[in-house]
Amino acid sequence: MADAIIEKARELFEGQIVCFSIHACAATAFLVGYITSNVYWTLYVGLGGTVITFLIVVPPWPIYNENPVQWLPAKGRGSADYDIVVDGQRVTS
Amino acid sequence: MHNTLTRVQNVFGFFTSVAFAVAAAIAISVVLSSQTPSASLQLRNVQVVKGRPHYYSTKREEYAHITFSLDADLSTLFNWNTKQVFAYITASYPSDSPASIPESEAVVWDAVIPAKNAPEHHNTYIHPTKSTARPKTKKERLSLNKAYPPGKEPGILKLDKQKPKYQITDVSGKIAERNNATLTLHWNVQPWVGALVWDNRRTVGRWQGLKGGEAAFEFPPLKATEAKKEDLKTATGKEKNRGSPA
Repeated sequence: MADAIIEKARELFEGQIVCFSIHACAATAFLVGYITSNVYWTLYVGLGGTVITFLIVVPPWPIYNENPVQWLPAKGRGSADYDIVVDGQRVTS
Repeated sequence: MHNTLTRVQNVFGFFTSVAFAVAAAIAISVVLSSQTPSASLQLRNVQVVKGRPHYYSTKREEYAHITFSLDADLSTLFNWNTKQVFAYITASYPSDSPASIPESEAVVWDAVIPAKNAPEHHNTYIHPTKSTARPKTKKERLSLNKAYPPGKEPGILKLDKQKPKYQITDVSGKIAERNNATLTLHWNVQPWVGALVWDNRRTVGRWQGLKGGEAAFEFPPLKATEAKKEDLKTATGKEKNRGSPA
């Protein structure tokens, strides 16, 4: 029971990594630029933060695959649940 | 977020939206900074002579050569979002029938004043300096090539007896003896991101309106005697892209 709740919380958190990361990057970029009175710093910090976000989110890091979802086993081939009929002939699934 | 392509698309889409929001925030943050521009503009001399638009043209028109003195402080217009300020001086005068024809306005002089961190380009204004002595140190040499007087900051303009960049004429070709003319300083603040802003004479929030920067004058009659060629030269500053009149 506790495992299920922790699982849900982790899913929520990972879904928000992108949001939080880019928002934080944008906010720091704006502040850095405003404080140094130099728009170039806003650009550099913003682009740098975006690159970091890409690196966090896009490559399939092994950490994200440690707790995979347990799918149900696939239905066996040649089962009698349903028939696939093509041009009047029964074709196995 | 099931495969790499989906993740890339989602992150990039989010990034563009957020970048747009940051740009909007930068553009709006400018409203909080204070501006106190000041200027004093005086007419030095006006001469009206007969001339041609270009060498091979057959029509002869009257051209006005207006020299002026300008002492302006536009340095507070430069905030962190300013890329450059385009300052220009126009001569405006009413038409013969003010009820139906609006007044004419012609640019006499202009300057592109970049901010300190803006990239170099060849059309930048180079502020004229009085001393013609050769610069001794590298620091001196660099300070003479700027859009502002040595030791000051961008936006300061100290011009005395400045020759115009352009000689102006009227659409009809006759500009002599027109009255109620005004020489006015304008500017256009060109930002890194955001809207263009022109000069304002009214105070809006923290942005003070400009007081001064105007001079009333009248166009004299056509010069009877031959004007000296040196008097009619236009400003040939050291900036590269001077255009054909210069």
